[in-house]
Amino acid sequence: MGQERIEIDYDHVDVRRIMDQIKEKVAAEAGGKPLASGGEAAPVSEPDFTGGQGRMRRVLLKLTSPFRPLIKLLILPVDEEHRRTVLILDHTNRRLDRLIAEVERDRRLTREYTKLLHHLCHNLVVEMSKLKIEVETLKTKTRVMEKDFEFLGKREKALEKEAFK
Amino acid sequence: MKLAFVVQRYGLEINGGAELHCRWVAEHMKKHAEVEVLTTKAVDYITWKNHFARDEEVVNGITVRRFPVTRARNPERFGRIQDRLLCHDHKEADELRWLNEEGPRAPGLIQFLKDNENSYDYFIFFSYRYYHSYWGIKTVPRQSILVPTAERDPVVGLGIFRDLFRTPRAIIYNSIEERKMINDVSGNGPVPGDVVGVGTEIPDCYSGETFRRQHNISGPYVLYLGRIDENKGCHRLFDYFIRFKRESGSEVKLVLAGSTVMQIPSHPDILYLGFLGDGEKFDALDGAELLIMPSFYESLSMVTLESWALGKPVLANALCDVLKGQCQRSNGGLYYETCPEFRESLGVLLSSPRLRRALGEDGRRYFEANYTWDVIEKKYLALLGRLEKDKSS
Repeated sequence: MGQERIEIDYDHVDVRRIMDQIKEKVAAEAGGKPLASGGEAAPVSEPDFTGGQGRMRRVLLKLTSPFRPLIKLLILPVDEEHRRTVLILDHTNRRLDRLIAEVERDRRLTREYTKLLHHLCHNLVVEMSKLKIEVETLKTKTRVMEKDFEFLGKREKALEKEAFK
Repeated sequence: MKLAFVVQRYGLEINGGAELHCRWVAEHMKKHAEVEVLTTKAVDYITWKNHFARDEEVVNGITVRRFPVTRARNPERFGRIQDRLLCHDHKEADELRWLNEEGPRAPGLIQFLKDNENSYDYFIFFSYRYYHSYWGIKTVPRQSILVPTAERDPVVGLGIFRDLFRTPRAIIYNSIEERKMINDVSGNGPVPGDVVGVGTEIPDCYSGETFRRQHNISGPYVLYLGRIDENKGCHRLFDYFIRFKRESGSEVKLVLAGSTVMQIPSHPDILYLGFLGDGEKFDALDGAELLIMPSFYESLSMVTLESWALGKPVLANALCDVLKGQCQRSNGGLYYETCPEFRESLGVLLSSPRLRRALGEDGRRYFEANYTWDVIEKKYLALLGRLEKDKSS
């Protein structure tokens, strides 16, 4: 239900005024609804690959320092691959968030257009029916006028004949 | 003055439409004139099969002469003929063939009119689209008064009816919209006429509480009274109401009363009570918050007038120009074209008892000014007086 209120003057209730307000409200809801809120997805923080600064870490680093060249050599390809994968996943997540937001926006837009088209079709059918009756009416009037015209023509001729006898 | 009311069906078992309209007017006019009814032996409006055995009987103090229908209607064949007629170019002969199929074909009734033309002052024909009105008015044009009860449906534009609307001595319309439509279709402006309509019998006492107790209904409800039929816009009413319930969370119920020719959706807040008698109908109206009229085609809508007579507002289908016009003239109800308009209008009406009271009061005033039997009788008598004056001058 819409949030706008219908103003009613209870001392002089006027159906036409109430209906105008209802129509305006319905039109505003159908046409002026804001679309999806904000196009961008929530930002994802850049992963921190620089490491922590704890004492434990320092001790461990000192203890393992003689083996550092070997460890580096062993984990280098895995670490590189891991970093690359995390970056790719993060990038993919951002793209997915953006795409989902876009799809949602399009979906709402399409829904509104469908509603409008539905109303349009309905109103067209109603108007066409009224117009068909109107056309019939006009055809009838034309036929009546043709007959009247024909009759007046005949009358004119008859009168002329009488006058010039 | 002797009046004959000519109508396609007549009897206490027929409780709606032009037939009931005719019966009520005849019963009220018998105070002012000698009244007889000329009709057929049919009850079923689909087939027009002969039902009444007797040729003559008295119904509520009025002599009713019944004439046999010589050929029952075949609905399928009639449907085919009507479709062809409305969708293709055709000649007057095709329209007359359609009229014969439409029925009720009672040549005895037409012969009676021919033979007894001078025994009556005026013949008041009800419903323009049937055999009895067309051939009856052609038989006694100078004494005929037509009550067309015309709706905005395509057959009103047929050529045969253009002539028909220009033939009678006078026309009694049900609404301003009906008069405009017929004037436009036939160019019958010079034919004397008036917008009269019909009154209604309001019982002295009615009780919404009794109705609620009898049917075990609690909480607010809106009411639909009449035939439950797609042609009456009920399919759309159900759709809109279910959507209204879903979107608004309102506790309101939709109560339906009348004969049904369509499937009613199964919904906990849609209650179908079957056909209600006159007394119960007014109890139901009294208990309702408002009446809903979803019909697309109406020439007047007696139930709308009854609702206003009880001071109840109406929510009507604005695509029916008569209902919209009546709501605007009476200031007694709101109207809708689309589902959002239905939702908003119903929401506004249900949320404001003060608005419902104000609209109901306006509706009641409109009813009392235009549709009480005193007013209707006076309008009929004024028209008859005018015709008598024209005749003598």
